[in-house]
Amino acid sequence: MRRTRLASEVKALLFTLPAMIPLSLFWFFPLAYVIYLSFMEWDFMSPVKTFAGLDNYRYLLDNPEFYRTLRVTLLFCAGSVLPIMAAGLALALLLSRKRRGGAIYRTLIFSPWVTPTVAVSIVWSWIYEPDVGLANNVLRVFGLPGVRWLEDPNWALVCVLIVTVWKMAGWSMIFYLAAIGSVPPDYLEAAELDGANGWRKFRDITLPLISPTTFFLFVVLTISSLQAYDQINVLTQGGPAGSTRTILYFYYLSAFDAFRIGEASAVAILLIAGCVALSLLSFWIGRRTVHYS
Amino acid sequence: MSKNRGLRRLLTHFLLAAAAVLMAFPFYWMAMSALKTNDEIWRFPPTLWPHSPLWSNFADAWDAAPFARYMLNSVLVGAVIVLIQIVNSGMMAYALTHMAFRLKGVFTALTLVGYMVPVTAVYLPGYVVLSRLGLLDSYAGLILSNCVSIFSIFLVRQAFMQISHELVEAGQIDGASHLRILWTIVFPLARSSFAVLALITFIEQYNNYFWPMLITKNPDLQLVSAGLRSFFVQGGAYGLKWPLIMAASAFTILPLLVLFLLTQKTIMRSVNLSAGASKG
Repeated sequence: MRRTRLASEVKALLFTLPAMIPLSLFWFFPLAYVIYLSFMEWDFMSPVKTFAGLDNYRYLLDNPEFYRTLRVTLLFCAGSVLPIMAAGLALALLLSRKRRGGAIYRTLIFSPWVTPTVAVSIVWSWIYEPDVGLANNVLRVFGLPGVRWLEDPNWALVCVLIVTVWKMAGWSMIFYLAAIGSVPPDYLEAAELDGANGWRKFRDITLPLISPTTFFLFVVLTISSLQAYDQINVLTQGGPAGSTRTILYFYYLSAFDAFRIGEASAVAILLIAGCVALSLLSFWIGRRTVHYS
Repeated sequence: MSKNRGLRRLLTHFLLAAAAVLMAFPFYWMAMSALKTNDEIWRFPPTLWPHSPLWSNFADAWDAAPFARYMLNSVLVGAVIVLIQIVNSGMMAYALTHMAFRLKGVFTALTLVGYMVPVTAVYLPGYVVLSRLGLLDSYAGLILSNCVSIFSIFLVRQAFMQISHELVEAGQIDGASHLRILWTIVFPLARSSFAVLALITFIEQYNNYFWPMLITKNPDLQLVSAGLRSFFVQGGAYGLKWPLIMAASAFTILPLLVLFLLTQKTIMRSVNLSAGASKG
């Protein structure tokens, strides 16, 4: 009996190995390793790493550049997450009732999400081209002066945000379509009998019932916007004058450009801490609002 | 009343059409710019339709950089990763849902922790690991470092949890091994989840840029995004090759748009499934 128990134990472990080996190599070990590196001073090349204690963190917190990137990151998160959610909700409300052509609208609106960020960012940088790009040509038609979009520190972040929102709005729309579709119609009918108008129905019934989706999207989109890289790399490379340098871009530059591994690892730890906190919050709230769905 | 309703329907259609046009317009503009001559691109006001479509731009762009190689790299690496993930996610999820073992709780917790960690944050230590393994600048490195996905495991686990354990027990009574039960009984029942896994993983890998760019320097190993980007940087430096750059972007994007049009039902369903998967 004990033998078969042991055998089934081993068999189960064998089933997990094809996933657990690469997970350990490329997830769990790197995670532990980056914590270790954040307490070390290292330049990637030299064979020795020296213990630095909390110096990397201290250096980071004293570095004005770090706060500048933090500010850009917050602007980027707020400027991408909220419009993506608002646009997704608005489009889902427009599409929620079955109507002719609905599937075509949905397909077109969702399509940017599927395409490679690098390729579509290149298309957008052609639109933003200052001399003959579409954006400035449209302004010129209206007699307005052109803007040097990606080269202007006041506009560069807006340009990156437009691309990000354009790419993701359809994605959040799909979630909202499902959420709105599962609002029980009798609730809405009952409210209608009580004389509620469209806005009241939306505010008092639909919006509260889809709040788990709203919260889920908020967390997932914030985590993904903290990790935005491709569009920034193609459009602005963090410039001009650091106006689009997010914390992730800062991390990338300190690691692979300046080779300050310890400092970069400290940035990674902060990034991980932020994302883990957001995920835990979402698990916790998900537990509490489970009765909604 | 009915007049009001008609007006509202018209307004809704107008807003939806405006949104759809806005979303699709960059693709249209890309295609049109790819067909223009350099002269026409510099003309004001811009033309919405090329005077005489220059189809040779596509061939010129295709020959200007090894795009065939880039695309083959992306498709090949993506396809191999999909196959490996089907196997290892299937086996892992099967163990977590239909087998009893002591470390089950620990492994579930570990994957959950892994799920919360942002991928990009472990790129630096991941790079060090890959270099120690001697896998930088190799197909093996590109494939192995992406060959497991916690999202995929969760997705399959979610599907396997819906499958009655009695089916597994019935298979065991018939003397079938776990591997056999997994691939002949459980897998077919969850094939729609595996289809989602395959599509999402392939799209993700085809579009992957940051990590492959970090771990490969050899131009022969570049995936399509990195290849396109270096073509863009070279062409952009002179600022004259926009039609070719747009043509190259177009044939990079096209396979995915076609894939999306063919499988849009599955892809849109997968978006919603991903919410379920991440709820654990």
